[in-house]
Amino acid sequence: MMTEADYYALFDAYRKGELAGAERANLERRLAADPNFAQRYTDFEELTETLTSYGERRATRQKLKAFQAEIDAEDETVVETGYPDMPVLHISPMERKLREFWGAHRATMAVAASVAILAVFVTLLGMEWWRTSQSSSLYGYTVLRREVERIKRNQRAMDRAINQIDGSKTADAASQSKFSGTGFALTADGYLVTSYHVIQGADSLLIESRDRQHYHAEPVFTDVAHDLAILRIKDKNFNGFKRLPYSFKRGQSDLGEKVYTLGYPREDLVFNDGSLSARSGFEGDTAFYQVSIPVNPGNSGGPLLDDRGNLIGVVSGRQMDVQSAAFATKSSYLMKLVDSLAAASPEAPYTLPRTNLLAGTSRPQQIRKLQDYVFVVKVYE
Amino acid sequence: MGKGQPSYTDEEFVAAIRRGDDRALAQLYRLHLPMVTHFVLQNSGSEDEAKDVYQEGVMVFYEKVRDGSLELSCQIKTYLYAVCRRLWLKRLAEKGRFGARLDDHEPYLETGAEADLAEAQERDKRFGLMAEALEQIGEPCRSLLEGFYLLDRSMQQLTADFGYTNADNAKNQKYKCLVRLKKLFFSHYKEEESY
Repeated sequence: MMTEADYYALFDAYRKGELAGAERANLERRLAADPNFAQRYTDFEELTETLTSYGERRATRQKLKAFQAEIDAEDETVVETGYPDMPVLHISPMERKLREFWGAHRATMAVAASVAILAVFVTLLGMEWWRTSQSSSLYGYTVLRREVERIKRNQRAMDRAINQIDGSKTADAASQSKFSGTGFALTADGYLVTSYHVIQGADSLLIESRDRQHYHAEPVFTDVAHDLAILRIKDKNFNGFKRLPYSFKRGQSDLGEKVYTLGYPREDLVFNDGSLSARSGFEGDTAFYQVSIPVNPGNSGGPLLDDRGNLIGVVSGRQMDVQSAAFATKSSYLMKLVDSLAAASPEAPYTLPRTNLLAGTSRPQQIRKLQDYVFVVKVYE
Repeated sequence: MGKGQPSYTDEEFVAAIRRGDDRALAQLYRLHLPMVTHFVLQNSGSEDEAKDVYQEGVMVFYEKVRDGSLELSCQIKTYLYAVCRRLWLKRLAEKGRFGARLDDHEPYLETGAEADLAEAQERDKRFGLMAEALEQIGEPCRSLLEGFYLLDRSMQQLTADFGYTNADNAKNQKYKCLVRLKKLFFSHYKEEESY
C-alpha cells in the first residue's frame, strides 16, 4: 500500500518526467479513471507549479538586478542622456543629484518662477496705476497745476552744463521745479493766495513775478476742503508790494457776470475770460463757482475778477467731460479764512486792500495794473 | 550596442531568451534601459524608480517569452515602452500626483501589453501569497521545499544537506511540509478569491 508521501514522490517524479514507460502509463490510466485521484493531482500540481514559477521569478529578478548592478558599476559617473546615440556626459555625483532634482521638479519650479515674475509686474503696474489715479481727482475732475515738462528740464540741465563749461555760473542753479501754478497778492506786505493742490507735497516754494524776480515763500495756512493756501514771502530784502489795485468781494456774485482770469499756464502771462455760469461747483459744491473760462494746467490759483475789478474767486480745476467748465473757490470763503487767521493771531494783522483802483477802467488798463500782482508759484518736491 | 557582443534582431532576441540565453537577456536589458529611464525622468520620477519600473517591465516580457505565450505584434522596444508606461502610470496614480497626465513622445500602440500586464499582476498576487506561505511554514520546511522545487536539488542531496538518516525520512518530511504549505497557501488563496 502506498502512503500519501509516496504518492507525492510519484507525482514529483511524474512532473519532472522521470517516470519510466510502464509506471507512467499506469499513473495516467489511474488519473483518467479516478476523478478523486485526478483532483488530488491537480491540487498538487497547482501548488508545485506556483512554487516553481515563484522560484523562477525570484531567480529572474536576481538576474535583472545583477544586470543593473553591472551597468551601474560601469557608469558610476556617467549620466544617461536618454538617447543612445548621444555622447554620454561624465559628471560628478553631486551634479547628477542636481540633475535628478531638476528633472523631477522643473515643472513646479517653472510655474513658481512665472508666478513670481507675474506678481512683480502686477505689483509695479498696480502701484503706478494707483499713483496716477491718486494725483488726478475722481470722476473727471482735474486740478490745474502744471507738471513742468521733462523736455524743458533737460533743456535747462543742458544749458547749465554748457554754462559751466564756459565757466560762468548762473544764479538759477536749482530751477528744476516739478509743478507750477499761479498765485496772487493778498496783502501789500507779502501775503499771497494760491490753490492748496498747487503746493501739495511741496518741499519748497519759489514765487516768480512777471519781471523775473524770485522770492522764497512758505505756506502759512492751507484749507484742503476749499482748495486754498495762503503763503508768505520770507525773503529778507523783500519790502512789500505797491498798493494792491483790486479789492476782495465778500458777498456772492451773480450768474451771467462777465469774469476773467490771469495765469501762467505757459511761461508767459495768459489772459482768459468768460462768464459766471453757475453758483455751485463740481457736484454741487457751494464753495465754488462754475465759470465758462477755458483754463489749462498752470491756471490753478489764479485770480478770478469781475468787470469792476473785484476779486471774486480763485481758479481751482475743471471737469474733463464737460465743455469749458472750470471751477473757482468763492472769495467769500477766502475772506472767512483770512478773518479767522487774523482773529487767531492779532499781532500779525492782514491789511486787506479796501479801495478798488480798477473800477471803471477798460480791460487792458485793468490788466496792465494787475499783472504785477500775479505770480508763478513753483513747487519743488 | 558595441561592447564586443553580437547584436540580435527582435526575433533572435525572443528565440535566444526562450532558450534561456542569459547573455541575450542582459543585452536586451541594456538596450532599452535608457529609453525607459528617460521616460520616467521626464515624468517626475527618479532614476531608482525608473530602474524598478524597467525591471518589472522586462520581467513581464521575459515570463511571456519563457511561457511561449508571447504574441508580439510590434517591436520589443514598443512593447517594453507600453508596459513600462502603464506601470509608471499606476505608480503615479498611487503616489497621487499629476493624475493621469503623461509626457509622451512615442505613439502608444495597441501592443497587447495591457492584457499581458494584467495577467502578470494576477500572477504577482499569487506569488505574493506563496511568499507569505513560505514565510509562515518556518524552518526547516522552507529550506527543504526551496531546495527541492526552487533550486532543483535531488532528494539524495537534500537528505545529506539536512542530515536525515535516510531518503525515506527526507521524503516524509518534505511531504509534511508540502501539506502544510498547501493548507496555508490555499486558505489565503481562497480567502483572496472570495473577496
